[in-house]
Amino acid sequence: MKNIFFTIICLCLISQTFFSCSDSFLNERNYSDYAPSTLTDSLGFQAEIGGLYTQMNYWESYTDNQGWLCVWQVGTDLAYSTPNQQGIEIPYTNYDLLISTDGAASYTWKWAYQLINNANNIIYTIEKGTVAGLTETGKNKVNAEAKFFRAYGYNLLATLFGGVPLITEPVSTAKTDFVRAPIADVNTLIEQDLLFAAANLPTIDKAVSQARANQAMAQQLLATAYLRMGQPSKAETQCQSIITSGKFSLVQSRYGIKKSQAGDPFSDMFFFGNQRRNQGNTEAIWVLQQEGTAVVGNSTGSPQHRRVWGAAYYNIAGLAICDSLGGRALGRMRLNNWVLYGLYDKTDMRNSRFNIRRRYTYNDPSATYTAKYGTMVPYVGADTVYKICPSTTKWGQYDPNDAFGYGMWKDFILMRYGETYLLLAEAQFKQGKTAEAAVSINALRTRAAAPQVTAAQMSLNFILDERARELVGEENRRMTLMRTGMLEKRALRLNKDVNCPKPILGLDSVTVKKPLLPIPQTEIDLNKDAKLEQNPGY
Amino acid sequence: MKKFGLYSPDGNRYAVLKKGLIAMKITLILILFSTLNLLATGTYSQTARVSLKLNQTSVKQVLKEIERSSEFYFLYNNDLIDVERKVDILANNEQISSVLDRLFANHEAKYAVYDRQIVISPTNMLLPQDAQRRIKGNVTNSNRESLPGVSVVIKGTTTGTITNADGTYELPKVDENSTLVFSFVGMVSQEIKVGTQKIINIVLSDETIGVDEVVVVGYGTQRKSDVTGSVTSVSKDRFAKIPVTNAMAAIEGAVAGVTVSTTSSMPGSTPNVQIRGVNSINASTSPLNIVDGIPFDGNINYINPNDIASMEILKDASAVAIYGTRGSNGVILITTKKGVSGKPSIQYSTYAGFEEIAHILTPRDGASYVQKYKDYMFQTGQTQTSPVPNLYEVDNYTAGKTTDWIKEATQQGFIQDHNISISGGAENIKYYISGNYLKQKGVVQGYNYERAGLRSNLEANVTDYLTTGLSLFIVSNNYNGGRVNLLNASAMSPYARLKNSVSGKYEIYPMYPELLYSNPMIGLYNQNVDEKINVNTNFFAEYKPKSVPGLKYRLNASYNYNPTNAATYSGRPANNTVNGTATATNTQTSLWVVENILTYTKDIQKHHIDFTGLYSAQKQKYFSSGGAASGFVNDILEYNNMGAGATQTANSAASSYAMASQMGRLNYSFNSRYLITVTARRDGYSAFGNNTSKYATFPSVALGWNISDESFMAGTKNFLDQLKLRVSYGKSGNMALGVNQTTTLSRTVSYAYNGATMITELANRLGNPNLHWESTVGLNAGIDFSFLSSRISGSIEAYKTSTDGLLMQRNIPLITGYSSTWDNIGKLENKGLDISVKTINIAKKDFKWSTNLNFSVFRNKIVDVYGDKKSDISNRWFIGQPLASIYDYKMIGVWQTSEATEAAKYGVKPGYLKFEDVNTDGKIDANDMVIQGSRYPKWTGGMTNTFEYKRFNLSIFIQTSQGSLKNDVDLSYADEAGRRNTPAEVGYWTAENQSNTRPSLAYNNTYNYGYPRDNSFTRLKDITLSYNFSERLLQKTFLKNLSVYVSGRNLYTFTNWIGWDPEDNYLPRGVTQNNGAVTWANNYPSVRSFVFGLNVTLK
Repeated sequence: MKNIFFTIICLCLISQTFFSCSDSFLNERNYSDYAPSTLTDSLGFQAEIGGLYTQMNYWESYTDNQGWLCVWQVGTDLAYSTPNQQGIEIPYTNYDLLISTDGAASYTWKWAYQLINNANNIIYTIEKGTVAGLTETGKNKVNAEAKFFRAYGYNLLATLFGGVPLITEPVSTAKTDFVRAPIADVNTLIEQDLLFAAANLPTIDKAVSQARANQAMAQQLLATAYLRMGQPSKAETQCQSIITSGKFSLVQSRYGIKKSQAGDPFSDMFFFGNQRRNQGNTEAIWVLQQEGTAVVGNSTGSPQHRRVWGAAYYNIAGLAICDSLGGRALGRMRLNNWVLYGLYDKTDMRNSRFNIRRRYTYNDPSATYTAKYGTMVPYVGADTVYKICPSTTKWGQYDPNDAFGYGMWKDFILMRYGETYLLLAEAQFKQGKTAEAAVSINALRTRAAAPQVTAAQMSLNFILDERARELVGEENRRMTLMRTGMLEKRALRLNKDVNCPKPILGLDSVTVKKPLLPIPQTEIDLNKDAKLEQNPGY
Repeated sequence: MKKFGLYSPDGNRYAVLKKGLIAMKITLILILFSTLNLLATGTYSQTARVSLKLNQTSVKQVLKEIERSSEFYFLYNNDLIDVERKVDILANNEQISSVLDRLFANHEAKYAVYDRQIVISPTNMLLPQDAQRRIKGNVTNSNRESLPGVSVVIKGTTTGTITNADGTYELPKVDENSTLVFSFVGMVSQEIKVGTQKIINIVLSDETIGVDEVVVVGYGTQRKSDVTGSVTSVSKDRFAKIPVTNAMAAIEGAVAGVTVSTTSSMPGSTPNVQIRGVNSINASTSPLNIVDGIPFDGNINYINPNDIASMEILKDASAVAIYGTRGSNGVILITTKKGVSGKPSIQYSTYAGFEEIAHILTPRDGASYVQKYKDYMFQTGQTQTSPVPNLYEVDNYTAGKTTDWIKEATQQGFIQDHNISISGGAENIKYYISGNYLKQKGVVQGYNYERAGLRSNLEANVTDYLTTGLSLFIVSNNYNGGRVNLLNASAMSPYARLKNSVSGKYEIYPMYPELLYSNPMIGLYNQNVDEKINVNTNFFAEYKPKSVPGLKYRLNASYNYNPTNAATYSGRPANNTVNGTATATNTQTSLWVVENILTYTKDIQKHHIDFTGLYSAQKQKYFSSGGAASGFVNDILEYNNMGAGATQTANSAASSYAMASQMGRLNYSFNSRYLITVTARRDGYSAFGNNTSKYATFPSVALGWNISDESFMAGTKNFLDQLKLRVSYGKSGNMALGVNQTTTLSRTVSYAYNGATMITELANRLGNPNLHWESTVGLNAGIDFSFLSSRISGSIEAYKTSTDGLLMQRNIPLITGYSSTWDNIGKLENKGLDISVKTINIAKKDFKWSTNLNFSVFRNKIVDVYGDKKSDISNRWFIGQPLASIYDYKMIGVWQTSEATEAAKYGVKPGYLKFEDVNTDGKIDANDMVIQGSRYPKWTGGMTNTFEYKRFNLSIFIQTSQGSLKNDVDLSYADEAGRRNTPAEVGYWTAENQSNTRPSLAYNNTYNYGYPRDNSFTRLKDITLSYNFSERLLQKTFLKNLSVYVSGRNLYTFTNWIGWDPEDNYLPRGVTQNNGAVTWANNYPSVRSFVFGLNVTLK
């Protein structure tokens, strides 16, 4: 009997121990991740806003498909794919292969909605109620920065896909009933967000830091958006506001780290160490920082800019990879002959040898090449397609520790004051103010030492030509042409080199079959509770 | 004299032996005769009468005379009985007993009459006539090897013992009317009536599908004949004589309903195990492993196959229901060896052998490579300026020198394994200690595996009501070594430069300026430490109150500690461009489990009741810390001083989960004929969502009917040994959900910002606070049968399971800002049939041939995905179709030159793959994709033929898997076909050969076509030939047992697959791991191995 008693007592004790604490015993704790729900104070917002810049970096540094950056350039009016194309850009020169499962369209879509969701997390928390430790002004500043990025995401989607589902609050559960909003609704949100941002963001000299959002960024983006929306007068106002702010000026004279070397003011803007406002670049409206990753580490990928834009000269026996030739590049695309031989006036600084490299000199000092050393590489034959093709120097970069050049480790100039004049000219032209437009264009041409133009010369085509002269390599050419509705016409007219190995196929200037990118097929399939209309042509 | 044929031929030999041995031999005879005696009815000795009249005659003569005049005959030993003694004897029609009484009165001899046989033995030998006596004996297997650990129980009581290390046992006070039951896991139990015997020696035979086998079930053991669920025992031979490094590899293809697939032959890798189809889409489909009763979290590699005493696989809902939320994928119960009281047994087993690549997907030779480049340039419209594409190939091409890169990258593999075990014990304490060392050098250079482990299993009977035990094991696994990249070896041009002529080191880019493929060999310059240690301690205490017979309380407490240590260094010779990168990561995982188990057993007449109750709790904690640095002055410090790196980063992570469970099970049987099992388990798991209960309950019921025991089946007794019907129905769960999936989390990305690091946060994962377990309801019906004295035996089982609330990592529209989230949605159904048959085809004295066959088929079907009966095309989940459907364009050939105009309509050219325009809309797009099949085989099977000739044993195992499709990555080279070497087996289209299966080299796979292909195969999986030396041969040695074997594994594969192996998991770009590093281990080829092995037991 004693034993039974003992047993029962023991069992009760043991069971009791566990039962009594079982409620808290099964509580879960997250040990090593922050969550949007725990980043709700000032420092938390700063980290989440930092996340928006990181997200921007994912666009620039996307490496999984190395031809990613070519998607936005080849098959437009200024560049074509070389035999060294990677793959993701193929449907952008062969439109029969541009289908709803397209890789570039999917990545674009995903990237933009991630940017929007991250912005929504901040906007929602700020607008939902009181935030400890932040004044109304402080809250508006945070909100303005987030709204700038949300508008950036929607403007990109609107340009490439048209009317898209509008999400203005963070999604908290699996949702599968999205519908496309009318483009007007998307435009309204973009306008509201950017007006709020422009009103609440500091001017560039008062910004938290030069890397962070300023008023001019919101204004320039708004100007671009207004032009797309067909509201040129509003666009003009935004551009004028940037110009009259007096915070920026066109770079007219030499500056920075290579000031004493051969070069010109235009080329100075694109050197490592010269791109930022505090490094002397008075045209810098938005420079997405990337410089210094070698020291502090952490890029989100290996930016391919130098590799896709530069010539693959390392393939030529007798040419060695070096700093002065801009480092190692692959020549995945080539500027077409229209850009190289038809676009610029002779005196145009933007066509100088410092800005477009056209000739190479044997530079390998090893004994094998003694005979050739110092002589010009003959510019003949197949090699001119990508090995020694003329190419922009804007993305040149060389790191002696990474001669192979996995990535291009310098800043990205995402908005430049030079473009403000181009947007202004476009806005003026659209309102019939051709004389004013010519003045705006001439501001750039004066700086570039190119002949002045007259009001009579103003046309959308001329402005797009001027954009190519000024912004080649910098702007997303495909988006510009899609925004202005000029993609097919200009591509078929200007991008038809006879020696082009990958000519544009499947594009018809009469009937525009695929005016927009395809809504990713997976999105249509996954969105099972509502129909996401596909764009025409897919 | 009909004298003692049994030992007279060897009489001389025995004469020199000690008395004890002779006594043993007599005992043997006694047993033999006593057994015969049992069969006889109406004894001759009671009716026969003897008449004799002899004077001064020797006893020997008297006995001879009795034999002559009657049917009696005598057994005795001359050395023990004084038969030369002269006697006078007079008998007149007397019973034999009265004659013998007089003959042996007052002498040191007694007799025993067994009908016509009379045994005469010294008085100290003969059985006393009291009803209770001491019984001794030994137990061996059919190979005459001693069997330790056999349970010997007096039937109907709990009194019993187990055999010690020599296989001997001793039971005091056994009633002559009682029956002894000898049972051992994996062997046919035997029942012997004690009768007058004093020494009972037993030979137990192996039996996989035996009728009276004892099997381990969850939280206890059961007689096989009483089992109502689906429980399969794995033949022990699969662990002892097959050269595998882990237990799961040993059962590959050998057990019906269990799919084990070798996805990599990499040393130290573990195969995938899947029981009865697939019950989950995204959550884990691996079974739960239970080692010695305790859930085992570690890698199965940590368990030394040689330490395994038995392995049982629980398959149906009723058997697994007692494991609740972790049961739905099946449960594997592993029991390790235990010590047995008695003389220590020292065993040593070893094997060593070599490995080679089973099939090499040979790259093109020089001429073929050059031709391919020529064709590539032509097909892509480029002007060819050199016979080979790259600068560095020119020298070797000019010199006509080629390199066999596969040969450079690979080597002959070598494997050796050593095991020592010592077991034994005193009356109240038993021990089993073992040590294991395994070393494997892989076929690809740099792939190594080394394992060293120790195990100690102790058990002590502290008092007659308390037993405690401790089992401990510690194992160290080591995968160190810089590794060669086989993919790059297969991509290398035969003319590429192996080594730099100046430095003598491997050239970093052998095809410079082609920089996509670095030298496969430079991985050897990397330092790579990868060590995993597992320390496992299990304690138990079992308390049986004397006052309540049948009641037992057991406490299991276990603690598992699993530290890992990884460090890498990649320096300048290995193409590190940032002056050396070092990483180091340490992780620690600890898990404690406490189980309280109460059992109660009661027999009331023919009713048998058996109750088990459980309360358990467990908690796991994980912590990892690590760092990385790059930019070193030179390469000599490797990863040993990361402070010396210019750039340094650190990381750490932690997580934890807890579970609390209760379980009850009731077994009831009537007359061992009608059986019922009812169970219920309730589990709580911390990782379930806050919006739902963290608890889940899983009930089950199972019925069994031993039909062959019914009286109406009496007429079948002459051919039917056993026939049993079983049916079960129950619910089990799958909680296989990682921690922290229920809340939305952010991700930290540091960002270079104004020259400093800024911590930025991005939304990372959409949580779901409603997450709970998956539940699987299963119905199982089975028949166990045995005919013709077990010449044919087996079981057939059919099952159907239906899983609801699938834990799915469902893809969601990217519009949400996320790509996927976990959810409980969808419904899946599995139907299947498992058949196991064992036949003994020939059973002669010296030759036995038996066949084990298993056959499994399962059909898997998605019933619903999102609750609206709509397929999810982007995830490839189609209603009514199996999971793992292959959905792709339908390739119908290759566009030929004559079809150029037609091809142009689709925007393609001759030499491009021709896909069927399924919807005939004049373009090929996502609407033309169709379901082509499933990655799951239509059926799988295995056949083992075992031939025993005298002491030779030959076992041949063939495995087959039929009717599955798999994407063949070896057929797709996308934009790389012109840049790398390709396999000779994989051709390409040219305008001349007009291939209709392969595209041209200009074909850039923009449709991401997966090249699905049938990967059915039949494999000669293993052949083992063993020889077991007779004890007689070993007599003068220090060995008790010696057996040797040779074994070959993965000997030949019949398949139409193009690639390295139909089972491989080859990936063209490696696998990016959590830490961002890329592993190429997937591309390790499957290997063929040959080993020689030896098992010895010391005297």
